[in-house]
Amino acid sequence: MEHESVPLYWRNIPSYYRLAARRCRKCGEVYYPPVVKCPRCGSSELEDFQLPHEGELVEFTVLRSVPTDYMKQKPLVIGLVKLGPVKVLGQIVDAAPEKLKAGQRMEVVFRRVVVDGKYGLVMYGYKFRPRP
Amino acid sequence: MTDVWINGTAMVQTGRHYNLNMDEMAARVLDEALKDAGYPELDALFVASATAEQADRQQMLGTYIAARLGLDKVATYRVENADGSGGSALMAAAMAVRSGVYGCVAVVGVDKPNDVLSNQQQDIYSTATDSVYERYFGVTPAAQAALMAKMYLSKYEYKYEDLALWPVLMHKYGASNPYAYIRKQAKLEDVLDSELVSDPLRLYDVGPMADGAAAAILCGRKGVAKVLGMWSSANAVPFNARQDYDVLYSAREAAERAYRMAGITPRDVATAEVHDSYSILGVLAAEALGLAPRGGLLASLRGGSEVRANLSGGLKSRGNVMGATGVYQAVEVVWQLVGRGPFKRVDGSIGVIHSMGGVDATSTVVVLGL
Repeated sequence: MEHESVPLYWRNIPSYYRLAARRCRKCGEVYYPPVVKCPRCGSSELEDFQLPHEGELVEFTVLRSVPTDYMKQKPLVIGLVKLGPVKVLGQIVDAAPEKLKAGQRMEVVFRRVVVDGKYGLVMYGYKFRPRP
Repeated sequence: MTDVWINGTAMVQTGRHYNLNMDEMAARVLDEALKDAGYPELDALFVASATAEQADRQQMLGTYIAARLGLDKVATYRVENADGSGGSALMAAAMAVRSGVYGCVAVVGVDKPNDVLSNQQQDIYSTATDSVYERYFGVTPAAQAALMAKMYLSKYEYKYEDLALWPVLMHKYGASNPYAYIRKQAKLEDVLDSELVSDPLRLYDVGPMADGAAAAILCGRKGVAKVLGMWSSANAVPFNARQDYDVLYSAREAAERAYRMAGITPRDVATAEVHDSYSILGVLAAEALGLAPRGGLLASLRGGSEVRANLSGGLKSRGNVMGATGVYQAVEVVWQLVGRGPFKRVDGSIGVIHSMGGVDATSTVVVLGL
């Protein structure tokens, strides 16, 4: 409905571009989205953790009723993908939904996510596709 | 601590109220509830709304509702937990009376999602997901509910036809509720033939967004129904990090604590209104409230039994009134307990509401009794 916030986009680039998660230095648990304190052991000592760019499909759905910014891209395939120690929720592209199967190998790709109108930003981020 | 009683209730038929402003619609229903309670002196107004800013560009709604009625010098509060705002506001209001600070307060739930287009409704509803890590990528509550439905159906070896029994039952109940948005029966084929929204969920699995307002007056003095127990619980595990997708953690925790406070078990529940924004979430909510064993609700529907939930028709048939939903549920449960029309008196004296924000992000359960 309105333009996306530029600072909001900019400060989340580490997540959107590089899938930066957080790992607890004490107990080793990995969190995505990143946490401020480890929910498991309570430690505040956390470090950046780069998620792997390959993983497997857990489950997916084809979403046909979409928000305004995605009208041109509909339907959207929304899926849960296991990347190393965590699952990530996001869009699946370059795939015919009827050929997708839970458990199949997936990889991370870098794509345009939102083209925010005539004067807004073009914003990017991760999506997933089946591994060739 | 003071006992809390519901002294007055009112609601408007949900639907498309193009001719009414938000504050006016809320003020009308509030006045009706105050009249029902015998016009007590009001100390505070708790407003539940999920879309006031985004659909109607209004903040501080409480002050404008008060202005429409000349309710001078009351305290106004706004409670927002997306489509779970109603239950949260109800609980906040009940705590305010229970604490003894206020003698009588009003809870008003109001939203007008039909003031915007359907894609804009999705814009608004998707702000109930994590804006940075979910909404940004086009994720909506429908997509999350769909993923849960897929995993639930596969884990318990159900077919989609089994899930479709929920909307059929909701339409059966809602058809005789004049306050409902979609007042017609639905056949299994209607559900199966409806368009896909997010597979496996079809149009009939989605609670249509509706405009509406409902109000309840809560006082420390004896009224029609007593607040026996209440609890609100957020689920801090992000959707992508969930261990299980076939359970509502927030509802389970809120129900356990609210039941304990009320000293009841699921068997004592004569009627319940649960947050079935999507059919699968109604199924999971009923299971979380102990109305059926985990994974077992669809089997019992298939076996021909009915669940003691959503005599109003639920969000499917009464409509998804967003932040107002929880207040509607409270009004409905009170009317079901006392047998006020259009509802027949239920067989028992205890009713429960389950109000939920987002997809298992936060739940409030309130136990009401005669």
